Amino acid sequence: MGHLDTNSIFLLIAILGPLATGVVLLFGARFNRITLRAIAAFGFSCPLIIGLLLYSLFEPSLAGEYNFELRLPTGLESIGIYLHLGLNGISMPLFLLAATVGFAAGLYAMYSNAERLHLYLALLLCMLGGLMGTFASVDVFFFYFFHEFALIPTFLMIGIWGGAGRRGAAIEMTIYLTLGALLSLLGLIALYVQSGADSFSLLELRTYLTAQPLSETVQNNIFALLLFGFGILVSLFPFHSWAPKGYAVAPTGAAMLHAGVLKKFGLYGLLQIAAPLLPAGADHWFPWIVWLALGNILIIGLVTMAQKDLKMMLGYSSVMHMGYAFLGLACFSVIGAGGALLMMVAHGLSVALLFMLSTCIYHRSQTFELSAMGGLAAKAPVLAGFFVAATMASIGLPGFGNFWGEFTIFAALAETDLTRWIVAPAAIGIVISAIYGLRAVAHVFFGQPKEAFVARLEGGKITDMQAFEKLPACILIAGLMLTGIFPRIFSDDANRELAELYPQEQSNLPMIQSAALPADLEAPKEIKH
Amino acid sequence: MTATQSLLAVLLTPLLSAVLIAFFFRRMGKVASAISVLAAACIFVFSLFAIHEAGNETVAFSWNWLYFGDYSVSIGFLFDGVAATMLTMVGLVGFLIHVFSLGYMANDQGRARFFGGLSIFMFSMLGIVLADNLIMIFIFWELVGFSSYMLIGHYLDTDEAAAASKKAFIVNRVGDLGFLIGIVYAYWHFGTTNLSEMHGIVAANSQWVSGSIAALLMCGFIGKSAQFPLHVWLPDAMAGPTPVSALIHAATMVAAGVYFLIRIDFLFPVEVLQLIAWLGTSVAVYAGFCAYGQNDIKKILAYSTLSQLGYMSAAFGLGYPGIALFHLITHAFFKALLFLTAGSVIHGCHHEQDIFKMGGLLKKMPITAITFLIGTLALCGVYGFAGFYSKDAILIAAGLGNTPVFVLLTLGAFLTAGYMGRLFWVAFLGQPKSDAASHAHESPLNILVPLIVLAVLSLGGGWIGFWPEQLGALIKDNLDHLHHMEGYAGMHKTVLVAGSTAWIVGLVLSLFFYGAGAKEDRLEQKAAPIYGFLKARLWFDEIYGYYVAKIQQRLAIFLSFIDIFVIKGIFVRGSAGLVGLVGICSRSLHDGNIHSYVYWFLAGLLALWAAASGIL
Repeated sequence: MGHLDTNSIFLLIAILGPLATGVVLLFGARFNRITLRAIAAFGFSCPLIIGLLLYSLFEPSLAGEYNFELRLPTGLESIGIYLHLGLNGISMPLFLLAATVGFAAGLYAMYSNAERLHLYLALLLCMLGGLMGTFASVDVFFFYFFHEFALIPTFLMIGIWGGAGRRGAAIEMTIYLTLGALLSLLGLIALYVQSGADSFSLLELRTYLTAQPLSETVQNNIFALLLFGFGILVSLFPFHSWAPKGYAVAPTGAAMLHAGVLKKFGLYGLLQIAAPLLPAGADHWFPWIVWLALGNILIIGLVTMAQKDLKMMLGYSSVMHMGYAFLGLACFSVIGAGGALLMMVAHGLSVALLFMLSTCIYHRSQTFELSAMGGLAAKAPVLAGFFVAATMASIGLPGFGNFWGEFTIFAALAETDLTRWIVAPAAIGIVISAIYGLRAVAHVFFGQPKEAFVARLEGGKITDMQAFEKLPACILIAGLMLTGIFPRIFSDDANRELAELYPQEQSNLPMIQSAALPADLEAPKEIKH
Repeated sequence: MTATQSLLAVLLTPLLSAVLIAFFFRRMGKVASAISVLAAACIFVFSLFAIHEAGNETVAFSWNWLYFGDYSVSIGFLFDGVAATMLTMVGLVGFLIHVFSLGYMANDQGRARFFGGLSIFMFSMLGIVLADNLIMIFIFWELVGFSSYMLIGHYLDTDEAAAASKKAFIVNRVGDLGFLIGIVYAYWHFGTTNLSEMHGIVAANSQWVSGSIAALLMCGFIGKSAQFPLHVWLPDAMAGPTPVSALIHAATMVAAGVYFLIRIDFLFPVEVLQLIAWLGTSVAVYAGFCAYGQNDIKKILAYSTLSQLGYMSAAFGLGYPGIALFHLITHAFFKALLFLTAGSVIHGCHHEQDIFKMGGLLKKMPITAITFLIGTLALCGVYGFAGFYSKDAILIAAGLGNTPVFVLLTLGAFLTAGYMGRLFWVAFLGQPKSDAASHAHESPLNILVPLIVLAVLSLGGGWIGFWPEQLGALIKDNLDHLHHMEGYAGMHKTVLVAGSTAWIVGLVLSLFFYGAGAKEDRLEQKAAPIYGFLKARLWFDEIYGYYVAKIQQRLAIFLSFIDIFVIKGIFVRGSAGLVGLVGICSRSLHDGNIHSYVYWFLAGLLALWAAASGIL
């Protein structure tokens, strides 16, 4: 059963570290700020350090298997549940994403002026621990369990520290997301029962289902449960209503971690579990999903354009960009899945950054109303620079990871005759997002400040970004640029993994030039002729 | 240094400069500007190295950037004669404009941001010049769009700059939409986006397919080179600092669209070429007319740029990419000169841009005025000046290939001389017409030196026989081809006569009509409806403005309404309400009254009995 790796203990620490710190902080009402921050810093940084360490130790040769495997008994062995951890080429990027966004959100939260800070940090740490667990789980049960574990603190944080209208938003979000989670749980249980593997381990499920695929009808039904369950969690159109308002009222840390990382759970579930295990179901449903994904891109894109509130706009734009990830998945090919993965990572970083920066803006403007702002760049040029960069990233400017996600997904759509037409409507999204993104930038930062805002600008002490704001922003921007300039840091490992899991399209290329083959291109070559 | 190393140095130097400025010298304008100018100088030197090393050979170089399955993106250089020509121009003009900016932006608050932006721009522009595949071109294409956005919005506290930068980026994105789709289709159709590899296979493909791909790719050109119907962003882009207008919105970036066409000219079938020729011709004439409705010195030059870009695309559409390149290069020299002299004027007149408030500048700013005149003559195509040779070639090509285009382009030449004459006579002759103009002073040396160098280039830049042999091979080929066409000799004479008449009549008429140093626009006084029509520029901005505000935004608001009331209201809240309703109904059954429970029990029994006996 796999091999045991001494490094796998780090994986456990990456999950338990934040959780343990969170538990300590629960009783931290009397700690002074410095102690509080020191303890929290440990919890927030531990996953990132481990993530980077494991990334450097990652052995790509194990495609189809997991690195750093660890299997601990849980007392539920009779129904095939183990605490089975590990990372592969698909989960590694998301594991790092969770660690990075967690670290950035944590840093920002540590210096925020939240009331009952210890409690807030404790919940954020619990969320982070759950997230690390989700992406490190090989066991499908724990994959789900950790997600729920991370979801509960989100609700609490919105309910306690949220902005105006938090009660309704928190309740709607709770019910909606629980519904989605339940549907997907049903799907996962059905998968477990039908496969006959008597195990929740993804590897065993995969072995069983490859040897004996389920009948088409069963696949279709299970896939539908997973698709719509996960779809609700990822705000697939028209199941997105919880997202914009939920994010608008969520406290920064929760919004960063949820929109940036936790939301990717559903996509990750489809990418890693549902589509490879139920290929017939995927084939059946994906042509329909295309329409919903276009709904995300075009309809929600236009709705985003109509927003007057910065945070609502960001919430809707995050819903819109999920459409691209769904389109990538719907191609059901190595390229499409790869594009979706790149998109997930890049979107996670950029949306977290945007939510953080929107709070930075709020601290200066005291409003999210776009038409009430203006001219902030003169007072806060660094903030303006970061916000422009983050907006550019999210609208797919090359140099940031989001571009590769979108472009790869377009390439994947054009690969087969069946989906080729989708490129055109989907690409309209790049214009739509440019419109609302730049409009927001112009409203907030450029031009002359509006009257109400002038008073605040002159009266209050408006400063540029402080160190505690700059550092997390720098980390997230660095991540975006790394994925933008060197996409292969993730794509190479993911490519090997996806090639095992996904059908290679029988390409209809007239010819593939030698330059397209990766093997002989590790080193630059020079031709003079 | 090998050619490849030099090219890498060319590309990475400005990036390094931008990074250094962004991270370390944000508050030190002086240091930032020094770094940026030094980088521009290095670019030019490295370019010369690269051209020297490469000789007459093509340097190709690529490595893999990203791959998934069959799909792979590479990054690489294709350095041939065309790229070398373009690189020399960008390096040279870029450097001169950097030097000019030292003086022009000396007292600007955001100097570091400005010079950082220039460096990012140089990086992106050079990426387009060197790129060996469509995807890489697209990447740098978007990046020049971004640097243009950033630099147009330099005076970010003005609403005008904020709106113009946004408009430029979005309009370009519309063009890039087609470009992007074209790339993706090209990738799956040809199996590659590498320029030389596509060139190899394109003949084996049906014309129809490669033609439609070419038409899609052309959309990128239409956006970037501000052709119909996406030309609206360029005049507004003049809200940026003048060096930016010179570098980005006259000499290099807008010309990148034409350069891109030249790089992929093998894709174009005759039908699409025809379309481009007509597109170019119509812009050439349209923009020529629009210039008469403008009083802002930079806006007049902006319309002139539009018009000249039209000439380039007409040349390309007529099947002479080399001549398009020729005009691109000479235009870069004289239009950069004109914008920089305009900058010098604006600098001297304390930021007055209205030509009817200038006047008498010939005496106050002699060097600026003379260099401006040289630029004007070059633009008008006066014999011997740089613009003459390229414009002459375009007119001959049109005369031999397409008579209506020829007629219109000659009309364009006449219009050009007219509006440039109007500008020169009104702004530089006569008496000062405002305080700003009467206090005008000649600019400092670091502004004048670039002007003089560019003036020399505008004079002699068109003498292609004197160009280094590594440069301009395509231009010479095309010119040779033209020379050997049937009827060349006759057409050559016709064009010489027609072209010279056009500029002489244009300049003289404008002098008589507007008058030296006129205080008011005579056209506006005498023929207000015509002036109003020209000023309205065919109402493109109004139509787009109407579309954006009344159609697009209303659709957005309508959809937002649907989203809130139908999806969220009826479906989500509705289903929650339904659940609640069921709850209320069933709760009402639990009323705690034993009698009602008995009745319900009996009713249930009755129902069961009915079901069992088959009545129900």
